[in-house]
Amino acid sequence: MILEWIRFIVGTIILCCGLLIFALEVFGVFRFDFVLNRMHAAAMGDTLGIGISLIGLIIFSGFNFTSLKMFLVVIFLWFASPVSSHLIGRLEVTTDEELENYCEIEDNCQP
Amino acid sequence: MKRKNNAFFRWFFGEEDTLIGKVEMKAQPEYEQKEGEIRELMEERAQLREQIYDVRDNTKLKLFHKMYNIAAVIFCITLISILLVNVSWLPHYGDGDNPVNNEVSARYIESGLQETGAVNIVTGMILDYRAFDTFGESNVLFIATVTVLILMRLDKEKKAPAKPGVEVYSKAEDDMTMTIAEAQANDRIYEPKNDAILQKVAGFLVPIIFIFGIYVVLNGHLSPGGGFSGGAIIGAGLILYLNAFGFEKTERFFTEKTYKWICFVALTFYCLAKSYSFFTGANHLESGIPLGTPGAIVSSGLILPLNICVGMVVACTMYAFYALFRKGGF
Repeated sequence: MILEWIRFIVGTIILCCGLLIFALEVFGVFRFDFVLNRMHAAAMGDTLGIGISLIGLIIFSGFNFTSLKMFLVVIFLWFASPVSSHLIGRLEVTTDEELENYCEIEDNCQP
Repeated sequence: MKRKNNAFFRWFFGEEDTLIGKVEMKAQPEYEQKEGEIRELMEERAQLREQIYDVRDNTKLKLFHKMYNIAAVIFCITLISILLVNVSWLPHYGDGDNPVNNEVSARYIESGLQETGAVNIVTGMILDYRAFDTFGESNVLFIATVTVLILMRLDKEKKAPAKPGVEVYSKAEDDMTMTIAEAQANDRIYEPKNDAILQKVAGFLVPIIFIFGIYVVLNGHLSPGGGFSGGAIIGAGLILYLNAFGFEKTERFFTEKTYKWICFVALTFYCLAKSYSFFTGANHLESGIPLGTPGAIVSSGLILPLNICVGMVVACTMYAFYALFRKGGF
């Protein structure tokens, strides 16, 4: 009984941390102006937020097949989300003609 | 039979086009604006911006903005409350007296497992009781691809010079058509090129996505999933592979010919198999298709092969749409 309560409380705290990170992500996406900054905020939610939220859900559900599936979802998103952010960033660097106004560019930069 | 020699019959037998000389498209003169007009327009616009959108001094505009915000909030709250009241009048979820709980769903729930052999009752419905509906859906996908093919397809070779006698009516139309070679030279269409990170990750993820899609297709009659969702997953994997490695690598195993044959074979097999099943069922004959034990992977008669057919059609359609919209051919 007391173990159940501990599990519930720990899971809730971790899930709330994940939701907080998602809230920060949404705030950042709407608050920043430049694409790469916004992309940074959005990518944070998709990796850290998803990871922490699903760890909370795994603690809720215990050690079974569902939690294994959630773990696989976390791994998949950790592969997919940074790569898509990288592609967005690369496209922005390739296509934006006024990039110098926003950030420093090294001389040997090859987009 | 002697045929009458009036305009309709002459048109019908192709001797004369009655519309020639009466209805013809004429090229319109190009629309040109004089420089003075453009300057006038720009001045007008600048005036508008200065005088009307001057928020600091224009009290009317200030008032309007305030009222606009208030009205927006009131409108949203009214809409939300109307919708909530509507929802509260809906019948309760899972109530026995709901209009959906009629003899049809009762029949599906009671004897669906015995009649179709599918543990997943939704698959039993869409691929057994209502299989021709699903057939129509697969055909809709195929026809949609064909339509996009008609609209977006580019010529394989350099476009031929205009034949003598065939006039090109508008210049814009002539410029819009792009050949494959021109499209390849256009960098934006083929972006991003050879991204090492994307290639590494795609090489790791694409096989997993394919396996997951095949799992979803093959388990359509046992668990949630089926041809449409599994096919969409496989199609997404194909698109990821295409994005990472480019058209040259995908064309080694997936070309227009492959698409054609997969769609043709899958749709024909679906049509013939289900026609046979419906024909025997309607005439109270034994179809001879074993249902197997419910829960086994090879069970529930025709549902598994039909799921595979639908999955192949959906996967090919996803990939074909992507390739056609991106390059105009595959």
